[in-house]
Amino acid sequence: MPTIHEQIDEFLAADLHGELSTAEQNALHAHLIECPQCRKDFQEEKNMHKLLNETMGDQKADPAFEQRMVARFRNRVPQRTGLIRLVANLMRFRAVQITAAAALLLALAQMGRMITGEVAAPTKRNEYISDVIESERLKPGDGRTRGVDELAATKQNVSPMAPSSVTSVMAPPPPVDKSSARTVSPPKTKKADFKDEEAKAVTTSATENASSTSPEATPGPMANRKLVRNATAELEVASFEEAVQKITGFASEEKGYVATSSSEKQENGKLRGEVVVKVLPDNLDRFLQKLRGLGELKNQALTTEDVTKAYFDTESRLKNARLMEQRLIEILKTKSKDVSDLLEVEKELGRVREQIETMQGELKFMDSQVAFATVTITLAEKNMNIPAAFLLKERAQLALYAAEVEKTYNEIKALASPKVQITNAQIDRDNTGRVSAHLNMLIAPEESDAVIAKVKGMARVENFQVQTERVSQGGDGLGENAKTERDKVVLNITISREEQEQALQQTSLRIRASEVNDRTKDLKELATKQNARIRSSSFSRDTNGREYADVSLRVPMKNYNALIQSLNALGKVENVSVRRDDRPGSEINEAEAPADISIQVYSQGNIVSEETGIIATLRRTIGQGAGALMWSARMIGVALAFLAPWVLAIAGVGWVARRISRARRARKQIADSEAGRS
Amino acid sequence: MDRTEYDTYQAAIHGDRDAFEMIIHSSSRNLFAIAYGILQNRQEAEDVVQDTLVKAWKSRWRVRDPEKFPAWLSTIARHRARDLARRRRPEPLPHDFESAAVADAETEPADLGPHVQAALAQLPELHRVALTLRYFEELDYATIEHTLGLTNGALRGILGRALGLMRKRLKPALATIT
Repeated sequence: MPTIHEQIDEFLAADLHGELSTAEQNALHAHLIECPQCRKDFQEEKNMHKLLNETMGDQKADPAFEQRMVARFRNRVPQRTGLIRLVANLMRFRAVQITAAAALLLALAQMGRMITGEVAAPTKRNEYISDVIESERLKPGDGRTRGVDELAATKQNVSPMAPSSVTSVMAPPPPVDKSSARTVSPPKTKKADFKDEEAKAVTTSATENASSTSPEATPGPMANRKLVRNATAELEVASFEEAVQKITGFASEEKGYVATSSSEKQENGKLRGEVVVKVLPDNLDRFLQKLRGLGELKNQALTTEDVTKAYFDTESRLKNARLMEQRLIEILKTKSKDVSDLLEVEKELGRVREQIETMQGELKFMDSQVAFATVTITLAEKNMNIPAAFLLKERAQLALYAAEVEKTYNEIKALASPKVQITNAQIDRDNTGRVSAHLNMLIAPEESDAVIAKVKGMARVENFQVQTERVSQGGDGLGENAKTERDKVVLNITISREEQEQALQQTSLRIRASEVNDRTKDLKELATKQNARIRSSSFSRDTNGREYADVSLRVPMKNYNALIQSLNALGKVENVSVRRDDRPGSEINEAEAPADISIQVYSQGNIVSEETGIIATLRRTIGQGAGALMWSARMIGVALAFLAPWVLAIAGVGWVARRISRARRARKQIADSEAGRS
Repeated sequence: MDRTEYDTYQAAIHGDRDAFEMIIHSSSRNLFAIAYGILQNRQEAEDVVQDTLVKAWKSRWRVRDPEKFPAWLSTIARHRARDLARRRRPEPLPHDFESAAVADAETEPADLGPHVQAALAQLPELHRVALTLRYFEELDYATIEHTLGLTNGALRGILGRALGLMRKRLKPALATIT
């Protein structure tokens, strides 16, 4: 730790400035007593402090300094006025900032919707409504009583076609509170309720039907309708038993049951049968969806029958009948005087009771029909037929090159016989002299190979394709014992002229000879000797007396080497280039394949041309030199034209910059001189 | 920094003009001391303070932490003052002070102002600024440190050295006072 003596400057200053702690002060004073050097320093420091206080006090900012600063600040930064200031002030608050940001976002979103053409408000409303419906559907326990309430409410307004008596049974007056509504609708699942007193049974079934159908349709006039939903489906499945098991599973998942199922074995050992399933109408669609997974759906039908009218008719008749029964019983009790009357009444009573029973039965039946949808499923195991036979269909395509198309065409046509039928024959000739022919033949299977071979021999084969197809008859799959038969062979032949054929090999060479014309004649002779055909030939002579003869030949490959050899006799063979197009895999008759040779016979021409000699050379040299000079002058002009605007622009900028700096310097000098003067 | 000061700085950063004017009131003297410490010219120092305030108002949003506002202000002032000092042509000292001091010491003991000025001019910039802040405004060490953005305890050394150097420079002149 440094001692006080070492840090005396620091301590002295701090002491004078009153920044020493008590302990430090004590230590300093103790040291000052001991050390004369430091004491001297202390004395000087005190003087220095005093001096500084005096001189600096003069220099410090005058009392009006702050006022001046504020005034000048106001001057230099003008205050915003009016609305802008208000907005600026407002924007200072965090809440306002957040609100503004949110509003901006919203506006952007709304603009986006407007641009994309979406209408905001209505969709939102629809969503809300559908949400409500959804939630009601999803809460069956709670939804049921609610459904009844709603039903009651709607019933109050509409139900003109239902008889009033039923309305009163089904719809308790609206002011009835929830608890009473609950007592009206007893637990649903108990079928036993039907055995209770009739009145209650009717109520129960009515409410039950209403509640079971109401969530499915929109709550409204549809709610109290009696709808019988039925569906039929026909499926092809791999295994009947498995399918039935799965259907049973689906049925229980969808709160239904398998009513009946039957099956029979067919001749081919496959099962076919029918399953009748009852499911809750609500779950019908889902059930049908599931059915699709079982196998291939052949057909499916969904029917809905409205039995509302019949139901309520029967119901009102039942009511009447019951009243009648009551009346008759009363008659029996009170006015039992005449035996014959009594008998009559008893008889009538019996008839009425029978009616009641019948009608109750009908109602019950309808209720059960409505309560459950019937799905009739026909199942058939997939048929795996074994084919009886196979038919081998062959289709051959042959493309030929012939020297004389027409001749070959006629030769092929001559092949026709009862076993070789020509179905189509056609020869095309266009005005450039190109000839092509098409033939379609139908050949008996035993003859086909021989005929095709014969046709192939008539001309050069470009392409031969055979397509074989095995067609099974009477079923699909693999029959082990089925026999295979060959069908008639279809042969399509295309004949085109040899010239159109691509050469297998292309050769080009030059022969230097002195007498071009004669050598060309020799060449033509040689060519015909080697069975080559001349395709084109030309002759030309240029100003220097050089002669050129171009000859192009086509020769069969077997004669190619001999021809090339013989060319050596004509002159010096130069620049030989050979190109060969190998077509791997093609069945080409190479000996007969064409090879193209193009030959240029040329002479060297006059050794000395007119354009030689000193004068000609001089003239040429001067002419070329002048041309080069002109050309370079033109290039310089172009370069100048390119550069000139840039040079001008740069010069302009430089000039402005110099002006500015000069002006600034002058201003500064003035300012300095003023400062100096002051 | 206490709560109200902090709030004032915060408001000023957010664009409250009144708050900023309060800051002008409270800190322009310090800024002046700083500028003077560097420039040793009252008029120039005043201009620097003025420029500093305008510039601070315009770029107030750059300060994230209101705590740092005073230090930031003084940094601007120091930079501007330094720029100005660099730009003005090197001012020759009023006169050759060593000889003047000796000469004046004998004749006119009262007027030591120019000597102090000259001695000050030879100190490093930071030392000068610290001295002016202390002797103009009589600020305590902590406030000066805060204003100049110095770390704890550094100022004591600086002031000690500054006074020590002054003392040695002005030794002959000092002798005349007592």
